[in-house]
Amino acid sequence: MVVAPTRAEALSLFRSLLRTARQFSDYNIREYTRRRAADAFRENRALGDVAAVAAAFADGKKLLEVAKRQVVVYSLYAPKAKSIMEMKLQ
Amino acid sequence: MAAAAALRPAILRRIRLSPSPAAAAGAAAASQPNALARWLARPMSSHDAHLTRDEVVDRLLDVLKCHPKVDPSKVSPEAHFEKDLGLDSLDTVEVVMAIEEEFKLEIPDQEADKIDSLPLAIEYVANHPMAA
Repeated sequence: MVVAPTRAEALSLFRSLLRTARQFSDYNIREYTRRRAADAFRENRALGDVAAVAAAFADGKKLLEVAKRQVVVYSLYAPKAKSIMEMKLQ
Repeated sequence: MAAAAALRPAILRRIRLSPSPAAAAGAAAASQPNALARWLARPMSSHDAHLTRDEVVDRLLDVLKCHPKVDPSKVSPEAHFEKDLGLDSLDTVEVVMAIEEEFKLEIPDQEADKIDSLPLAIEYVANHPMAA
């Protein structure tokens, strides 16, 4: 018996992914993770099948754990220079 | 004994230890005449740069206008994210995250779920003691 996540649970997962994405020290990985989360949620927003929704939600939770681990790993190899995209324009 | 007890507060009242920040400021004042004035003029609260409501409104409008899915001409202080700006629930989550970043806040999920319009966002940020 699979149970589809509630709307609040889905939004909470999305928020957690964005919060985790924000912690990456490297601009490119930070932005990629944010984009990847937003794209995946948009792509799956119209899923009707309960099993498909539950599977996508479980996948998202798994990827959140991956992202959390990678934040730690990447923090050990933080880039020494900032990306040009992060610099404030005069 | 009674005399010593009477003497004690009198002596304590006379003794003055200069606190070190004042001494440092005094030393700095010798080289820079304005330093002492600046040190004396600084506010005593750590929240010296508390935001005014106008500033909050301005910065929130900027955050909204910079969001890629928002039409800048539709942004007003009364706008509702979904009804007026045409955002969906996922966009709203992203907008609230952008607001968090702008004001260096951490908005808990339960609060963030409630923020669905600019008036509510303004209210939340303006009343938040840590907003910077």
